[in-house]
Parts: sequence; structure tokens; C-alpha cells
Amino acid sequence: MSDHYQLSITVNDTQYQREVDPRLLLSDFLRHELGLTGTHIGCEHGVCGACTVLYDGLPIRSCLMFAVQADGHHILTVESLGNPENLHVIQQAFWDAHGLQCGFCTPGILMTLVPFLENNPHPDEDQIRHAISGNLCRCTGYQHIVDAVKLAAEYMHS
Amino acid sequence: MKIEGEYLFDGPREVVWEIVRDPDILATALPGTQSLEKISENEYQGEMQVRIGPVGGLFSGRVVISDEIPPESLTMTVEGKGKPGFVKGTGFIKLSPAENSKTQMQYQGDLEVGGRLASVGQRMMDSVSKSLLKQGLDSLNQALLARVSSAESGEVVDYEAPSEAQFAASVAKDMASDALASRKVWWIGAAVVLLIIILVIVILSQG
Amino acid sequence: MKKYIGERIKRNEDPRLLTGQALFVDDVDLPGMLYAAFLRSDYAHARLISIDVSEALQRPGVVAVYTAEIMGDEWQPGPANVSPPPTVENITFHSRTQLPLAKGKVRHVGEPIAVVVAESRYIAEDALEDILIEFEPLEVVADIEKALDPEAPLVHDDLDSNLAAYMVQDKGDYQAAKTKADVIIKRRIEIDRGAAAAMENRGIVANWEARSQHLTVWDTTQAPIPIRNGVASRLGLNQTQVRVIAPYIGGGFGPKMMMHYPEEIMIPWLSVKLGRPVKWIEDRRENFFGTTQERSQVHDAEILLSNEGKILGISHKFLHDSGAYDPYGLTIPLNTESHAAGAYDVPNYHSELTVVFTNKMYTSPIRGAGRPQGIFLVERLLDIAARELGIDPLEIRLRNLIPPEAFPYDREIIDQAFALLTFDSGNYKPAIEMAAEKIGYEQFIKEEGPRLRAEGHTVGIGIIPFVETTGVGPYEGARVNIEPSGKVTVATGVGTQGQGHFTSFAQIVAEQLGVPVSDIDLVTGDSADFHWGTGTFASRGAVVAGNAIHASASIVRGKVLKLASKLLNAPEEELELEDGFVRVADLPRLSISLGDLAAEANPLRGAVEPGTEPGLEATAYFGPKSGATAFGVHAMIIEVDQETLMVEIKRYVVVEDCGTVLNPLILDGQVHGGVAMGIGNSYYEQLIFDENAQLLNASFADYLIPTACEIPNIEVAHFVTPSPLNPLGTKGAGEAGAIPVPALFAQALENAFADVGLEILEMPLSPNRLFELLQEKVSQP
Repeated sequence: MSDHYQLSITVNDTQYQREVDPRLLLSDFLRHELGLTGTHIGCEHGVCGACTVLYDGLPIRSCLMFAVQADGHHILTVESLGNPENLHVIQQAFWDAHGLQCGFCTPGILMTLVPFLENNPHPDEDQIRHAISGNLCRCTGYQHIVDAVKLAAEYMHS
Repeated sequence: MKIEGEYLFDGPREVVWEIVRDPDILATALPGTQSLEKISENEYQGEMQVRIGPVGGLFSGRVVISDEIPPESLTMTVEGKGKPGFVKGTGFIKLSPAENSKTQMQYQGDLEVGGRLASVGQRMMDSVSKSLLKQGLDSLNQALLARVSSAESGEVVDYEAPSEAQFAASVAKDMASDALASRKVWWIGAAVVLLIIILVIVILSQG
Repeated sequence: MKKYIGERIKRNEDPRLLTGQALFVDDVDLPGMLYAAFLRSDYAHARLISIDVSEALQRPGVVAVYTAEIMGDEWQPGPANVSPPPTVENITFHSRTQLPLAKGKVRHVGEPIAVVVAESRYIAEDALEDILIEFEPLEVVADIEKALDPEAPLVHDDLDSNLAAYMVQDKGDYQAAKTKADVIIKRRIEIDRGAAAAMENRGIVANWEARSQHLTVWDTTQAPIPIRNGVASRLGLNQTQVRVIAPYIGGGFGPKMMMHYPEEIMIPWLSVKLGRPVKWIEDRRENFFGTTQERSQVHDAEILLSNEGKILGISHKFLHDSGAYDPYGLTIPLNTESHAAGAYDVPNYHSELTVVFTNKMYTSPIRGAGRPQGIFLVERLLDIAARELGIDPLEIRLRNLIPPEAFPYDREIIDQAFALLTFDSGNYKPAIEMAAEKIGYEQFIKEEGPRLRAEGHTVGIGIIPFVETTGVGPYEGARVNIEPSGKVTVATGVGTQGQGHFTSFAQIVAEQLGVPVSDIDLVTGDSADFHWGTGTFASRGAVVAGNAIHASASIVRGKVLKLASKLLNAPEEELELEDGFVRVADLPRLSISLGDLAAEANPLRGAVEPGTEPGLEATAYFGPKSGATAFGVHAMIIEVDQETLMVEIKRYVVVEDCGTVLNPLILDGQVHGGVAMGIGNSYYEQLIFDENAQLLNASFADYLIPTACEIPNIEVAHFVTPSPLNPLGTKGAGEAGAIPVPALFAQALENAFADVGLEILEMPLSPNRLFELLQEKVSQP
């Protein structure tokens, strides 16, 4: 690793100052520098969506961004949603509807859903499927995921 | 991968032949070429930066000329290897005189591609290689024109090889017009041109 | 007593997975850890003339570089075959297994040639480009049929040809039957490769602790115990010195089996050699040609029928592509043979199998594992026969189903477990009728289809019954223990890659011990916790491990009743286990918690009687004599867009019979996932190689995995014919969803394009390919 860059970044509401190699990917920074291993790497070419995190509230592929490009910005990962004793309402819906099997693609889907459900409180099936069409899942065939999203919308607005 | 085509040069066969066999001109005609030297009568060795979409890197290789019938035809065998993969191919070039002291070049070749170039660059390979070829031949044509004018006027006419950025822009334009021609979706074409130009120029300027 | 088996219980493992708190292999981070990267061949077939690693060694941060040469005597050829050749007479089998690093020559694109170990993955990958290799490219064997040409280049120079195996199997007398047939249909059927493409790529972390002489390996494997045994043997260690952990795994689907991939040999070796933890994580491109794939076969097939549509015989001569090596033996083609007669009563069968080596990545089972090819074969032949005989496709199938009284039904050929293939139980007709009714088959054929077509829609319907051989041995084991806290801990050797073992297996225990599922903690896939077993594959987890867990839970139940009977002074028959307590029926105040009982069973004073064991613990094993045969029916209605030839699935119905259902929620999920993979295999996914065996679509941009917009809602209904082969009555279901889908697509598309006389004899298809096939039909009517 050659030149280092002073990175100042907020992740899950905590401010971090770190020296990083300019070519360090944001995904690697989150997983290995900060130990937030909930964000997973599926392809490193921006197609599968497993690495999706929120960048100033918007879902992005952390595998396609350098950590230094997030300098001064706010990142939210799946760890910001909840923990096993205290699940976020979307996580609870996924649990109730069996919306995951191996769980590898799940954090990426959850982060995609956070802004989606905020902006679409009562999505229909078509809208849901389109919203998650950028997240590949090899285990579930998507059906229980769609059920989970419908349930989450119900939980959020009841 | 098969490559086939024709090109009309603005000059007589003998001069075209000279230029095609001149490593210094060839080296500048194809930007990305870092070096090209003659190591024997029929063999050249060189290094070239190749970029196809997201895949690129330095290739080193050999070109062997055989079955020469000047100024009519020749066979060219190419073998190149680099970090992005390898390339191996044979090409046949035929020059025929055309009207107004021009020359018609016909070329056909067979190219084997392997490594990352093949497995990730596949979709763009066709259009990029066509474009690279066209740009190279256009540059050679410029060199030809310069040489012909100097011969006629007695003055030295400069031939300016296109810069990397100009080259990249031309490739992008070609690829986009390829897309436009087949799909007639203008706004996609415009976006593609813009995107590719920006992308390629940024990458090349850091190369 | 409360029932747990068959309930839709939420999964125990979900809270950790949902919150990103579950450990996957790449999450393992150890102090002093080094990172490995493999230099892989760009050539499908080439001699290695020279390898120069000097520049790589000089790069700052690089700790070591190894090639086969540099390893010297420590380089040992290949792992052993995963499965040995079957016990059939007159079989030819040449075993050639993969190597830790290529030596002398490379045999497929992606074969590892060198490994770099560095302080970071980034540096290791940079250093790969410093390594200079001189290759002498050789002629490539890229085509499964050209592999046996006399002038074909040899993938393995020590063999006379690229023949990997040859085997003939027979039932009855096919030739004799041929003379009596009214109709003979002959066709050539081609199926091409696909990838499993689990979302998590492979990865290994190995940590050799020299002071305790102990090696820990985290591996994305479906079979940690065989990996442990293999690694221990390779490194000259006792099995007890090696611990292999398969933590949470992001999808298995077959290729993460006990291959002993080169990396699985090298990474542990590197850790021992360098005395530091070493991590290797595969990237997606590597996965496309460094992890196994399959499905490629070519069949010359024939079916014999009477005028009434009764099948008299099926025969096929087929080629199976093994790739550059054949570590997985004949498992896939044997499965194809086991399913080439489908769910039908076929009195005469003949198969001639030729397995060839090619210069491509080697093959090993992917969900379905050869079964989809067999089902595709028989269902295509039957559809073509139906057309020729003028019989409805559903009707012809009903006429040929194995009747319920024929079970156990002998196919008289050997299957992947080297046992004579016998279908244990089944009741096919009502299940098909259920599916036909759910999709509205009659109604579509008579009314809805014609009406939609008159309105200008291109619509089609399909219905395909299929069988699935599941639950094969050799065995699995489990240990169940009640802790003083009242929690039940369970350990078994199989791994989990999302199938919900932590819940479905817990339900089996809960049924015996009356403990809520959430109080039962399972460990799977850790050889330190349980070290006897095989792995999760071939739809056998619930059957084999499940029944082992049932057996050990039953023994623990026996111990509970015996001790409680003594302590509560009541006969065992009057005792009930519920909610973590043992109670005397009708006298609920006389009870003791299981936790307290466990404490009593492990006294700190007094003597434990000879011949008894302390605690409430038991270990038991289960080895089925043969596999159980599951059954299912898939039906679908599609609409094809006339301009783009994209297929929209309007309805998809599944009737699944996998015997006793442990957890319907989990089972449905498995079916959905299988169907999604099947849909991918039918219309979107295909590994495309050129004539030099170069893979042309090694990324998700070009290898198209279906998204949520391509997969429809799948309606799943259950039909239950319990298996007589195991106490729980379970059959496997993990692969079922994927098996009939290509056959179903072919049938539905032919139905949609019946007016053109479309005939589909290949898989996968795509909009482009469908266009080509339709053009061919139009130009030669």
C-alpha cells in the first residue's frame, strides 16, 4: 500500500478518521477496517447487489466505490437496523415470512428496502419485484422475500 | 473471431505497401503502441496498450510477415500476450489498384482471444476491434496522403498521428453509431457516446 | 403432546442472519493473517515451459510464492476421487483428479498454476501480474463429441484417448421389445452447461497453531468432515489435530462439496508452511472457471411405444462431459440413467454411457445433479410420441405411471449409491390429477388457450411429472444432549447452507422431548463438535441426518423417562414431556424440569451405576439401505411476447411429495428456490465457450441469473406418501424444484408454437435461440 489518504467518514452514526489506501474499496473498508461484516460481497462488479449500503440515504453498490469517495459522507449498513434481540420492523417481517435462506444476499436487500418502503408505503407486487430486481438471490426464488416486503409494509403502517 | 473488410486508400499501391512495411509509421498509426521494431526482414516485435471496455493492459507480441508478393498481398501472423489475456491470429491483406490512383485493400483474418479479454470483454470485442482497425487504417491513410503530397510538392508535409484522447473519442463514436444503426434509439446512443467518451478518456489519461 | 413436525415454525437462525451477525468464511479475521491469490491459466490447454516468480517475490508485502516446482517433494498429485467407480461388470473407468497446482501442463482455463501469499489481498493480486509464464499453447478439446476423434489432442497424455469412462446398463431386453413396437421415436438431445453461482463465492481460512500442533480451517464446504479427513491425511496429521468448520455458508447447490479443490489443499498447507493464518477468498470471475459446473450431455435416444401409447422401452447412447478431470466419478450420469425412465413403468431399458475428458473446468453435481437431464430426455420423447400418436400429453403420461401397487418398484439398474435402483413408495396419479386441476389443464386445452390465441396471444401450457432419488447413504450421525439449563444441544456432521437445519432438525428433537424449538441449539458442520458423517448433498440432509437426530433424540427420551420414572415414582407410561418438563399425566404438580433432570443425571456425589452413562445424552447413526424416491408435478402456463420472444410465466403450480414434511415453510422455500434455478437453466443461463474452450461470459453481466422480475409466484401443494425406509417417513426435497423445469419449458413452448410444429431438443434456450428454431421451422415447413 503506497500513498495514504486521511479519510473522514460517518458509518452508522459513528464518526471515523482513518488512513486508507486510495484504492481500498468501500466494501472492504466497511468489512475489514471497521469489522462490519454484515455487508457481503457477491460479485465485485455491481450486479448482484449483496454489497448494497446507504450513502447519504441512497442505496449504492459499496463494491464499486472507493472508501475515499465516501469521504465526508454518511454510510448506513445493515448493522444500523437492529440486533438479534431488537430487530428492525423490516427484519421482523423477513423473519416472520421466511424471507431468507442462506442469508447472504439479505443485508443488501434490506438496505435497498429501507428507502423503498419509506417512499412507497403501500407497494403492490409489481413495484416490490421491480424494487428488488437489482438484488440477486439464488436461494429463495424471491417469493418469500416479496411476502416479507408486503408484511413489512403492513407492520410499518398499522 | 473473424475479421473481414475493405478500405480505400488515397494513394498508389507502391506507397501503401511502403507504409504498411514501415514500423515507425505503423507504431504511430495505432496509438497505444508503445514500441514496434523490426527484428528481422519479416519479423516485428512490439508492445501495445489494449483496452476493450473495462479490460485493458499492456500486450507484448510478435508479428511475422510471410507469403509476400509486393505490392500485392501478404500474410500476417500475430501473437500477443499480456496481463489481460492473449491474442493469436492470422490475417491476409490484398492490395488492388483502384480509380484515380487509389488503392483498394481487402483484408480477412481469424483471431483467437483468451483470458480476461475473452471472458469479460466479449460483448464489446466486435465493435471495438472494428473501430480500432478503422482508426488505424485512417491514420495510415493520413500518413499516405502526407507522403504523396511531399513527393508531389517537394515539401515535407507533416503527418500528425491522432492523440490517445482523439483516438478514444473516435472509438466511442464508432461504437455508438454501430448501436444507433442497428437500433435507431437516439437517446440511448447519445448517452452511450457521452458515457464511453468520458470513461475512456478518464482511463486513458491515467494510463 | 404438542406437535412440532409439520409445523410452519420460524427459523432459529434468522435473527443473526438478518442483522449481519452471522459468521461467513470471509468474516474470519485473525491476527497476523496473510492473504493468498492464485494465478490461473488463461489457456485451456498448454504446456508450461517456464515460470519466473522472481519479480513477484520482490514486491513489497509479498511473503511467499509457490508453484509445483517450488514445492518440490511436497507437491503431491491430486486428491482421491470423491466417489469411486461403481460396481458394474465390464466398466471402464480412468480416474484422473485435480492437482494442487498445475505441473507440466494446464488442462482448463482457470487451472491454478501459482499461489502468492501477501500482507493484503490487493498486494497478492498485484503480484500475480508480476509472474511471467511461458506457455506452449496446445490444440484444445472443446467439443464433447470431437473429444473422441482419433486425432483429438489428449487431455491426459498417459491415456490412449479422452475416454474417461464407459458403461452399459440394461433392464429386460430392449432389442426384443423393439421388434414388437408400433411406434419408434428417435431423437438427438443436447444439454449444455450451467453454473451453480451461489451468492457467496468459495473461501478458506486456515490457521496452524504450532504450539498446540492444531490446524483450524474455515471452509465454504458442504462436507466439512471429509475435508477434515482429507486435509489431515495430506498433511500427515491426526484427524483430531484438524478442525474444519463450515460456518454460515452463502448457498451451496453442489459445487461446494468435498471436492478437495486445489485451494482446499493449498491453503492449509500454506498455513502450516508459513506458520501464520492464511485466507483465500474466491472472486466471482474465478468462480466461473475455478468452481465446478455441469449439465453438458448429448443423447441419441429412442423410445418404443404401442399404439395405445404404452412405453415398451427406452434406450439412449450418451456422452457426458467430465471436463479436465473426473473427481466425482459417474454420479451425474448415473443419476441421469436413474431418471431416464421418469415416473413411468418401463419394462425394457438400455443405456450406453461414454464419459469424456475435455479442456474445460471439471464437472460435479449442481442441484439436480444429472436428474434434470434424464427427465428432459424421457419427457421430450413422450411429448413427441404423444403428438405422433394423437394422444393428449397428460393422458399419455397417466397411461404409463408406475401404479401404487407396484412399489417397491425395481428399475434393475444401479444408481449413484451403487445400489440397485428401487423406488420405495409413491402414489403418482392423484398427485398429477391434483396439479392438473390446480392449473386448470382441461379448461386451458379446451377453452382458455384457444380463446387467448384467437385474441392474438401466444400462450402455452405444460405439465410434467418427475421422480427424484433422494436420501442416499452411507450414513449420518447426531448427538443430542440436555443441559442443566434445560436447553437441548444437538450436533451433527452435515453442513448448512440455508436449508434451515437449525430449525427443521430442532423440530425433530422437539417432537421427542417436548422442548420448544427455540430452546434447541444446533451445531452443524463443525468437525470438533461431531466428526462422523458425509455431507449435505443429494437431497439427503433431512432424511439421513434428520433420522440420525430422531434416533438419538429417541434414546435421550428413553433416558429421560427412565430417570424421571424413578424420581417421580410413576410408571413410564404415565409420563408426559411438554414445554421442557416431565409430568405425570393427570397429576401435573408432579413434575420435574428437564434441566433439573439433567443435573440429577450427572451427580457430583455417589456412584454412577456400571453400564450407564452420565447425563441425558445420546449419539446415534442412521444409514438407509437405499434412497427414498420423491415425486412431484410441475405445471405452467406461459405467454410469449411475439416481438422479443421473452417468456412470461402466467401461472406456476407445484405438487410436491417428499413424504413426511418437517417444516412446510422451509420446504416451500426450497421448492421456490429450486424452480428459480430451473427457470434459469431453461431460458436464461448458459455457460458459453468458444472453440478454444475459452469461457466468454464469466460475469453476472453476461451470465444471466433470473431476478425477481423473471420468477413468478409459485403455488405449492403438498402430497404425502411417507417413505417406508426410515422412521420419520421423510424423503428429500432440496433439488426437486430444479428437476423438471427444462422439460416443462420445452413442452409449454411447443404447445405455444404448436401451429408451427416447433420441436425442442436442447436446453438451455434463450430468446435468440428460440428465434433461430422458429426461423428454421418457418423456412422448412
